[in-house]
Amino acid sequence: MSELTPSEAISPSNASEANSAPAIDESDLIIETRGLVKRYGKLTAINDLSLSVPRGAIYGFVGPNGAGKTSTMRILTTLMLPTAGQAYVAGYEVTKNPRAVRRVIGYMPDYFGVYDDMKVWEYLDFFAACYEIPESSRPQMINDLLDLVDLSHRRDDMVDKLSRGMKQRLCLARTLVHDPQVLILDEPASGLDPRARVEIRELMVELARMGKTIFFSSHILADVAEICTHIGIIEAGRMVMQGSMESIRRQLSPHREAIVTLLDRADDAKSVLSGVQGVLAVAEMPDEGGRKRLRVTFDGEDALLSAMVQALAAQGIPVLNFVEQQQDLESVFMKVTKGIVS
Amino acid sequence: MELEAPLRRFGLFRNPVVVKELRGRMRGARAFAVLSVYLLLMVGFMLLLYMLSTASRDVFGFTSGGQVGRTLFTGIVGIQLFLVTFIAPSFTASAISGERERQTYDLLKTTLLPAHALVIGKLFSALSYVFLLLIAAIPLQSVAFLFGGVSEIEVVLAFVILAVTAIALGTTGLYFSASQARTLSANVTTYAVTLFITVGLPMIIFIAIALFASLLGARQADIAAEVQVVLLYGLLALAATNPLVAAFLTQYWLLNKQSAVFFYETVTSTTGIIQVPLLSPWILFSAFYLLVSLVLVVRTVQRVRRIET
Repeated sequence: MSELTPSEAISPSNASEANSAPAIDESDLIIETRGLVKRYGKLTAINDLSLSVPRGAIYGFVGPNGAGKTSTMRILTTLMLPTAGQAYVAGYEVTKNPRAVRRVIGYMPDYFGVYDDMKVWEYLDFFAACYEIPESSRPQMINDLLDLVDLSHRRDDMVDKLSRGMKQRLCLARTLVHDPQVLILDEPASGLDPRARVEIRELMVELARMGKTIFFSSHILADVAEICTHIGIIEAGRMVMQGSMESIRRQLSPHREAIVTLLDRADDAKSVLSGVQGVLAVAEMPDEGGRKRLRVTFDGEDALLSAMVQALAAQGIPVLNFVEQQQDLESVFMKVTKGIVS
Repeated sequence: MELEAPLRRFGLFRNPVVVKELRGRMRGARAFAVLSVYLLLMVGFMLLLYMLSTASRDVFGFTSGGQVGRTLFTGIVGIQLFLVTFIAPSFTASAISGERERQTYDLLKTTLLPAHALVIGKLFSALSYVFLLLIAAIPLQSVAFLFGGVSEIEVVLAFVILAVTAIALGTTGLYFSASQARTLSANVTTYAVTLFITVGLPMIIFIAIALFASLLGARQADIAAEVQVVLLYGLLALAATNPLVAAFLTQYWLLNKQSAVFFYETVTSTTGIIQVPLLSPWILFSAFYLLVSLVLVVRTVQRVRRIET
């Protein structure tokens, strides 16, 4: 991983780059649960949960603490049996074929320990051996993984001497030793300082580019909004909403909106934009620092946005800024959840 | 890594848990320091025994070399048995529960490492250090040869009894480590069981035999032959369950019957003389505890394999 300044790393381009990775086929599900139920005595942690994670997605599993995220992940990683329902990973039913599931997943729990009597490379070597990776191919693989997580310089240090963020990165490298198709990461950024969080997020985007499906839980919406292609919101053990970020935004606000900032000629711009097919309404907004602003409500794909810009430019209208208004994840979250904790 | 290469042909040395544990345990000076201190203490103990035993002289003012040899050998084996009893379970009682407490257990369980490889790897690596301590002390035991009075077979049998004790108590510790959530409770339970085997069980059997004998009368010759046979087999059963009794009785019959395998004991009573066939106690002891160990390993594997419900 290359060194990044925080501003570079958290720029929205990360999300769009992840989105621009191979197109995601929504019907090709790599993780799927059907009517999943988990009860601990009288407490129902997961209640009829149906989860659909398409291959290649960065899927943010969002919910308050105690919503059932960790229980779901423990079932998917073959660590726990569900009370009812089925869970499939890469086509394998988790209770019937746990070994095949373990072969295709890399799991990072929310709390994990490291062995204090091992060197960094030995830690990866040990887990590679546990995944039956031939001894001859391990040294190169370990070097590559340490490069990826930017820990090559700590190769011969004892694991317990690493910082929390480094341990988190090492654990992420550990999940990759057997080149799994899916990474299941439980709160990968929790407890990390801002820089370490950015680094983990950047790594996740990098891994998605490499073709991995990433299913991660978080209660930090900013992390999810930044990098996810898909999102599932869980509350009190129930899935309250899931789908691609785009489809969720659309569901919650049926029309798209753009804000156009102009140097001048607001009326001309208004009439030009109203003439573009697909534009539903154009309304003037209060000036901002002497600049004219228009709110354009429209229905259509990205090509329509481009058509609007071209129409304004063709008339020589001085456009300063043209931004699509995104509904932020926090408002989505607040709209669909009720604040219930099981 | 290079040093391990010749051993890789054997399955155990390909076991990732064994490689990891041995690497960790033998790293740095600690393991060698512990071994050196252990051997120094053993040497000190042996010197003390030597001085005590040479102080005793017979009526002609001579010290019996054989007697000195026997005292040294018995003393060393005794202290090794004591050490094995305490060290073997302490190494294994934390083996699985320690992974849980360190929060590394889930990481291991999601790998392809089979449950039996984890259990065998933990057991082998813990016992290998105990065996290192036992093997390192064999030259000290062998000093007894200089004085005579001890045969090679005794050294071999003493090692077998020590090894079986280490395996049995090691598997007991491992079983409780897997079945209990915390290392502390695993340790407490393991030591309670160890104490019962080494102290409680012999006491119970001794009391039972003593009560049985006193009920039947004071003189052996008056007791019916059948009852004496039962008592003899009772004693053998005690030897089969307790390492200390097994060691003493094996040596007793080795000296008296010149056999470490099979022999007849003569039982005299008013009804006549009976030759009772007996197996040397170390055989019964080893067979019994190896079987118990096998059952415990299987149960531990089942426990580790189980998926949380």
